[in-house]
Parts: sequence; C-alpha cells; structure tokens
Amino acid sequence: MRLFEYYERDSFLHRLNPMAKLVAIAVLIGALTPAFDPLTPLIFLLLIITVMWTLGRIPILYILRALLPFWAVALSFIIFNAFLYNVGRVEHPTVLFTWGSLMVTREGLEAGVSLGMRAVCIVCTSILFIMTTDPTEFALSLIRQARIPYRFGYAILVSYRFMPMLQTEYDIIRAAHRVRGVGGRTGLKERYYELKRYAIPLLASAIRKSERVAIAMDSKAFGALPQRTYYRTVRFRATDWLFLAAAILCTVVILLILWRLGSLRGYGLVPE
Amino acid sequence: MIQVQNLAFRYAFARHPTLAGLDFAVERGETILILGPSGCGKSTLTLCFNGLIPHTIGGEMTGQVFIAGHSTREASVGELARQVGIVFQDPESQFCTLTVEDEVAFGLENLALPQERMGERIEAALAQVGLAGEQATRLDRLSGGMKQRLALACLLAMQPHILVLDEPTSNLDPLGTQEFFPKLEGLRRHHTILVIEHKLDELIHLVDRVLILSPDGTLLAQGEPRQVFAEEALRLEEYGIWLPQVVELAQRLGIAPLPLTVNEAVEVLAGRPYDLRAVMRGGATAASPRKPAIEVEDLDFTYPNGTVALRGVSLAVAEGDFFALLGPNGSGKTTLANHIINILHPPPGRVRVLGHDVAEMFTYELTQAVGYVFQNPEHQFVADTVYDEMAYSLRVRGVEEEAIRERVEPLLAEFGLMPYARMNPFALSQGQKRRLSVATMLAVGQRILILDEPTFGQDRLTAHCLMERLQALNAAGVTVIIITHDMRLVAEYARQVAVLLDGRVVYQGAVKDLYHDERLLARASLAPPPLYQLSRRLKEMDPAFPDLMTVDEFYQVFGNEGLHAPF
Repeated sequence: MRLFEYYERDSFLHRLNPMAKLVAIAVLIGALTPAFDPLTPLIFLLLIITVMWTLGRIPILYILRALLPFWAVALSFIIFNAFLYNVGRVEHPTVLFTWGSLMVTREGLEAGVSLGMRAVCIVCTSILFIMTTDPTEFALSLIRQARIPYRFGYAILVSYRFMPMLQTEYDIIRAAHRVRGVGGRTGLKERYYELKRYAIPLLASAIRKSERVAIAMDSKAFGALPQRTYYRTVRFRATDWLFLAAAILCTVVILLILWRLGSLRGYGLVPE
Repeated sequence: MIQVQNLAFRYAFARHPTLAGLDFAVERGETILILGPSGCGKSTLTLCFNGLIPHTIGGEMTGQVFIAGHSTREASVGELARQVGIVFQDPESQFCTLTVEDEVAFGLENLALPQERMGERIEAALAQVGLAGEQATRLDRLSGGMKQRLALACLLAMQPHILVLDEPTSNLDPLGTQEFFPKLEGLRRHHTILVIEHKLDELIHLVDRVLILSPDGTLLAQGEPRQVFAEEALRLEEYGIWLPQVVELAQRLGIAPLPLTVNEAVEVLAGRPYDLRAVMRGGATAASPRKPAIEVEDLDFTYPNGTVALRGVSLAVAEGDFFALLGPNGSGKTTLANHIINILHPPPGRVRVLGHDVAEMFTYELTQAVGYVFQNPEHQFVADTVYDEMAYSLRVRGVEEEAIRERVEPLLAEFGLMPYARMNPFALSQGQKRRLSVATMLAVGQRILILDEPTFGQDRLTAHCLMERLQALNAAGVTVIIITHDMRLVAEYARQVAVLLDGRVVYQGAVKDLYHDERLLARASLAPPPLYQLSRRLKEMDPAFPDLMTVDEFYQVFGNEGLHAPF
C-alpha cells in the first residue's frame, strides 16, 4: 500500500496549478508556525482535511490512514512535553497531577498538543499537495511558472520514475542476500556492513540506469535546439489566483477570529 | 544513406579503442543486421549514427560517418535526431515522463514542433505500433513488450528515416517478442533499418545484409546472410555469436547453400533419407520413479496490493531432474520460486523440500539444501573479493578457514574463476559474474539449484559453457530448476517442464508433449523452437518422421546418410 503518492482523480484541487497550491501551503505554514496554542493548529488541521475531502475528492478515511503514523509522533511530543515542560518560566503552573518527582502541568500539556498538532498540520499540507498533484504537471509548472531550467524539471521527473524501481530492486537484493544466509545478527557493526552491501549494487544499477536514460533523452534531441515547445498547457489561470487569494483570506480571517476569542495568546512570541 | 569511413572510437579513460577501422555503407531502404560477441562495440556504433558520438559522449573519434551525405561531425544532434532514431535494449530506462502521450510528445517538444500539431502525430505513431488509444496510460502499467513498442512510437513520431534497434527484444518475454518483430516488417518499406539482435530465427527473413563485428571492434565480414554465415562459420562459432537454429543445423549436416528459415529447411530436408533407429536409442531415457526434491501442494498467494499471483499451484520436481519453469511475465514463476526458498513464506504443509516442510525449516537448513541464483548476479554479491564471496556462506556457518579453503578452491577452479580470486566481484565480466553466482550457490553442498533466467543477456559461448556446467552438475545428481523464456534452452537441456499461466499450473510433464499441445502453447504465448517446427513440417509430409527438437537429435537422424530411405 503506497499512501504517499498521487491519487488520480478529477477535482478542483487536482485541476489547480501546482504552484498555486504550493504558495498557499507556504502561506499557511508561515501563519501556523508562530502559534503556540493548541486550538489554532487544530482548526487549521480540520480545515485542510475538509478541503482535501471536499475540493480534492479524496476519501476521508484514506486521508486519516495516511496521517496515522504521524499521530504517533504527535503523541510522543505531547507526552514528552507534558512531563518535561520547563515550568520554571510559568509563574503559576497548573499542576494536574504528580508522579514521583515528575509533574504534569496544564501548560506543558498545552505546549505538547500545540507542537504535535502543528507537526501533523504541516505533514497534512504535504499530503494534500502530493495526493492532488500530478507529478508531470508539477515538473511542468516548475519549468513554466517557477522558471527553473527545463533540464532540472526533467531531472525531477526522471527521479520520480526511478523511485519505485529502486524500491523493487532493494527488495530483490534483500531477498538475494537472505538466500546467501545473511541476516540474524543485528549489531551496530553488522548494520554498517548491511548498509554497505545494499548500497553498492543499488548505486551501481542507479548509475547505469541514469546513464541509459541520459543517452536515450539526448538521442531524442533533448536540449539540442535553443527553444522547446510543450504538449501540455500548464497555465496560471484566474481560478488559481482566486484560490490563492481565498486561501490567504481564510488564513487571516481564522487567525483574527481566534485572536478575538483570546486563543492566540503569545502568537509570534518565542518562549524563552 | 549511411556511409562509415575508417571509423574508430575510444571512450575517455579506456585503454583500448571500442571501434577500430570500420568501413561500410548502407543503402536507402536496406534492413541490416549487426552481429558480434558481447562487448564488441555494437551499441557504441549505434551512437555514432545519431551523432551522440562525437557530440555528447566523451572519447576520441576518428574517421567519418555520413548520414544522407552530411558528416555527423558538422550536423547537430538536433538535426540528426530528425534522421536517425534509436530503440534501446532496456525498456525501463529509456523513458523520462510518466504517461504514454507525454513520452511520445517529449521528442516532438525537443524538436520544437508547434503544440497544435503534436496530437495527430502522437495518435498516428501509436496506431502504427498497435498502441492506439493508450495516450493517457501510465508507463508503469505497460508490459515490457508494450514499452518497447512505445519506444518505437516515440521515434516514429519524430519521423526519422533511419531506425536503429539495439537488442529491442532482449528484455522481453516470448509474447513481447512476437508482438515486436511484425511491426518491423511493416516499417521496412519506408525506412532504412539497422538492428542488433540475438533472436535471429524470428528476424532473419527480413534481413537484407549482415554486418559482423569482431571482439576488437573491427569489421569481420559483411554481405548477404546466407553467404556470410557459410563463409565465416568457424569464426562465428569461435566468437560465440548466436545464429539462426536452422543455420546451426545445416552447418552440422554440411548442407549448402545454407537454408536460413524453417521454410527453406523443409525444402532441403524433405525426402532426405533418415535413420529412425537413432531416435529409438535416444528416446530410452525414461526415468525410474524417484523421490521428490520439491513438492508444492495447493499453494495460493496474493500480494498485499491485491494482485493474485498463485492460485492452487501443485507441482512436484523429482530428485535429479532437469526442470524448466515456463510462462509469460507476471504468470507467477518467480513468486513460486520465492516460496520454495522461503523469501515469501508458504503456510505449513504446502511446500516441501527433500521431504521437509519449508515452513518449519530454519534458514540455514533451507539454504543448505537449495541454492537460488537470481537473474542479476550483482544482486547477490555480498563480499569484496571473489574468494570471500565463495567463502561467505561457509563463514556464516562457522566453518574453519582451513576447511573453507579446501571447499572453495576446487569450486573456483571448476568454474574457471581461480585467476580472479582476489578481484572484486563487480569488476568481473558478465559471464564471469554469472559463473560466480552459480558457484557460490554450491559452496555449502546444495543438492537443488534454482536459476532465474540463467542465460539472460549472454552470448552463445558463455551461455553454452554455463549450460554444459549445469548439465554436468545434474549428471552428478544435483536437481536443476531453471526459470526461463528461452525455448531453445528448454528443448536442449530440460527433461520436465511446468507452464504457469495467471498463477495456475496449466501443464506439467515432458517437454515434447508440451510442444504437441498447440492450443496450450498459444494460450501461454510460447512458441516451440524452430527445429521442432521443422520436424513437425517434415512429419506432415511423412507421418513416420519423428519429433525432434535439437541439432543433436537431427544429426543422429540425418547424420548417417543412406540407412533408411523414406516412402
């Protein structure tokens, strides 16, 4: 099951220019990072999931399952902070309960939840981008809109193509080594040798493959003429501008409301 | 159309030139077959046609190549790409986009064709190779055969006059190959074609001329296939160059002029006296019942992504057998083999090796009994020198260094690897790597050997040596199981075969009986080797004619002339 991959669908999000999504996500992450309360990231998370579900037509269960491993990471943040939050800088820490010399404070718990939720939030935006963006369109929009040299754009596409091939090859090598009787011992030294054993054949074949692709591309006159045309049109349309504007507006409005509700305590102030 | 004058090329940092003193010309509309032993510079030569040599690939080129009268030194790679297109060997690594239409468009974009004209060109090119309507298909959903036809379509869209095909079918299963060559037939009318290929039986009737390169990169011979094969027979064999099977037979029987195809051979051999007693002698290899080496019982397997790979597979391989596992790509051959060596774990009671349930065996017990040689030898190398590679499985088992040496050295000698004992396995030649991978699998005294595509990508000489070695091992009692597409190999070496199709065993039994079953062969897209087809054609004319599959069998029957006149 590969969860972090383009999810083929026809939806509003899928049709957007990848750059519009990328900029919107950057704005959102920028707005979210300095929020140290637990509520703000939670609201944004719900917003992102809803957008993905409605505008991106990705099944909600599928999104939640992709996020699953990151909830575990968030939980570890929460537990870690709940116990080890530096209460020294809070004047009157609210102690929830103590356990031996450890003390769980309300402030610590909140900081943990906030940190964990922000992490999940940022992961969720990347998942939104990956699942709703055709890699080819992404590469083309990098070339056409972000103006990166087209050689780099195609390099990205080729490596995207290679990724599953290398994964398959890695699996084969692992199986092949098991047949040799490798395995069983799991010391640090053994791990190092294992890495080396896998790396050499993988590198050898990756280099060979990329050489072949380069020759095949050059044979089709890649980069031989001063200009190049494109079969697919990847434009920045009015809808893209509209989406971008709506995303920024939404972010500002949510922050304002939260501020009025008094939830945005300490926004932008890095705790010492 | 193409003129090559005194062409030589040496790669940067290489000690010896790859190509030397090549002189030849190709007329407009000709179809040329280029032959040569592996490593003789055939692929390098193809890159001289489209100007990648000398324009982008580092090295030193002397001499001249003219395409339609223009020197490749003066023409740009862009101009040459409009005239010369190359299909490469590996279907996986010649694409750079993710969908069929993007890939075909890629070349057109590079030629700066206006966008509005691309659609129809893509459509026409895809139709020409039998991929009409596949525009939006993702590349990873295509079979190997479809990929190679797509690679051809990519070139056709750019409308070059010269097509160069560098071993286009060597990575394909028989089905993919059968789909590919007929496309070539239609293209001959409007294109000049140069093709490098090993599978000559399917191709030779399309070829106007043959060019043969020798191992040092010089031109050994050129001319009509019939004449070149006859004149250079000895050197072709010495260099290990594959020939059409019919030609091999005719050379052995001393027939001149050489027939090239099954049809021509039928004409020559029909009515020739033959000796039936030879067949009777040869057929007396009926085996006595033996213990099974491998038993598989009602094995099902579904991959986590939902692909059903095995459906109720039952199979038995007798001890000491030479067994071949056949079937199209994706039919479950490798999945089945992976269950036998417990890479994929069979449920209890389903797979037995030498009477023991695989599910209950420890890894070291199983690897002691079964050796598995992967398709790519590099995948299983774990050590820094050839000697350590051989010693590895023994060291893992805690064997004393002295005892290891006593075991490893004879094996190295047997496989002709003694001089390379201190070398890094990755630095060996393809044939040596393959031999090493087989030898390592015998180090702890395995009695069963499974080989995945053992002769893949090898020239005739190295393939032959390896198969002879396997046959010797088999004669010494080792059970050999090969997974293969090569029907010649099966005919010459295997005694028993099983055919897998969509995860089911659709045939298990003797090789000849499989070849009788034409409907099954067609379903599994397998073609019997040319010599078997020849014997069937002879049998149609003379019902007493026996079923024959190999050059040796034909030689036994036809070799002693005048013993038994037909009719």
